[in-house]
Amino acid sequence: MDDLHALRELGRELESPPPASLVRQRARLAGRAARRRSRRGTWTLLSVVAAATAALVLVPALLPRDRPEPRAGTTAGTAGRPLTILLLGSDARTGAGAGAGTDGPVRTARSDTLLLVHLPADRKSVRAVSLPRDLLVPSVPCTRGVASRGRIMLNAAFSAGGAACAAQAVEKATAVRPDRTMVIDFTGFVTVVNAVGGIRVTLPKSVNDPASGLRLSAGRHLLRGEAALAYVRARHGLGDGSDLARVKRQQQVLAEVVRRLTDAGALTDPVRMGRIVEALASSLAVTPAMGKVEMLGLARSLARTDPADVAFTTVPLRPAAADPARLELKQPQAGRLFAQLK
Amino acid sequence: MVSAMTAPPDLGTAESDARLIERSLQEPEAFAALFDRYAAMLYRYVSRRLGPEPAEDVVGETFLVAFSRRHRYDLAYTDARPWLFGIATKLVSRHHRGEAARYRALRRSPVEPHVQSPADDVAALVTAGASRPALAAALAALPRRDRDVLLLVAWGDLSYAEAAQALGVPVGTVRSRLHRARRKVRAALGGTDPMSEEA
Repeated sequence: MDDLHALRELGRELESPPPASLVRQRARLAGRAARRRSRRGTWTLLSVVAAATAALVLVPALLPRDRPEPRAGTTAGTAGRPLTILLLGSDARTGAGAGAGTDGPVRTARSDTLLLVHLPADRKSVRAVSLPRDLLVPSVPCTRGVASRGRIMLNAAFSAGGAACAAQAVEKATAVRPDRTMVIDFTGFVTVVNAVGGIRVTLPKSVNDPASGLRLSAGRHLLRGEAALAYVRARHGLGDGSDLARVKRQQQVLAEVVRRLTDAGALTDPVRMGRIVEALASSLAVTPAMGKVEMLGLARSLARTDPADVAFTTVPLRPAAADPARLELKQPQAGRLFAQLK
Repeated sequence: MVSAMTAPPDLGTAESDARLIERSLQEPEAFAALFDRYAAMLYRYVSRRLGPEPAEDVVGETFLVAFSRRHRYDLAYTDARPWLFGIATKLVSRHHRGEAARYRALRRSPVEPHVQSPADDVAALVTAGASRPALAAALAALPRRDRDVLLLVAWGDLSYAEAAQALGVPVGTVRSRLHRARRKVRAALGGTDPMSEEA
């Protein structure tokens, strides 16, 4: 008997058919490709949450007392009630909305990170469910013209109609109605860092990362806007190069921002404070707008949440029946997960 | 390298792999099309060598590595299979202990018959089934480099030239490794088996 023939028979016996979960590996690749394409970088899941939380904590703390109450889109307070927020990390550098309350022209902004965050009434255990940007969702009125065969990718809904449109698409797909949408972008981050006078970092060794444009010698540095952005986005030459290391670095930067705010007398300097408030307002667009009191209440309630009690979940997915290169929600598992967010 | 210069037969008028990779330099998303073309093929190959769970990961890694090296792809090769198989082979070699153990286990426990097999394959399967312990032992005992060549040809359906491209070695080296490996496999099948003991 021919040896190659026998070997091929054995191979056929040992072979497994490609599983549906292989699409996840495709999503991994697509995610990498999307990151490469965007010279502007991508928010990681955690940094979006951290940035939103930081902004939520900071905005009310910094709002001048004599400033008139911003007009709220809804008047209902959020205290003592469960709250679901759709967080969108936008790669726009223009400011997704000049201040809370506007849905803002979004231009060609793309949302790389979408997250449903559910805060229970007692704010003790926060649940965050990440939704992939290429998730196929049913089309909604605001996506007319962009949807094909009644479906659309989630980030396309954001590109088509902004946060409000993404929220409608999410609601239709998940039956969870986001009470608020929050859009965070890079411009805001840069402005915030500049407004606090930069952040201090200490590097154990020199860094030269052409991908992010970061070039620094070893030792202590004061980084301003763009350099700070490069620092949080760099993956090479810092730490072990992993995404996790980057997330940690981003958290450190946010902590440093908070420290600079509280240490440097920013709170007592009206000029600096004004700049910081502007920066924060442009970095986080909340729709419907939150009143000052409401935001402060939310910030205080979040302060009770132990970060360890924030549970991150990825929604159950499967390859779409109509297009195996795309993802759709895997039912009934996804439905059960979303039911917990109501 | 004639065979490497020909497009895979089933692509018809579709964009060649090389063209796709070239385009992905400007549009990284285009690279995903390469996944759609070859992920299943690579998965089948790697699942034979390592089993289903490691295979999924290895296939994912293969495309991530390929993506990060796409700038260095020689666009003269229209067919990307050898390149992808080469990357996958390197990643498989990280699991070489698991692979050898997988083959050794086959010497003892019979593989359940393949229920999907068409009836006319049954006879072949029975024959293969009978020789499986010897085959598995021979595979487990092969030096890694020889096994890589043998399986790229027998399971990956690569030509000699493509296997050479995949492994980055001259075709002559592929021939000699394959010759050596096949001699051992034939000896195992013929009963005059120098490999019956574990290496």
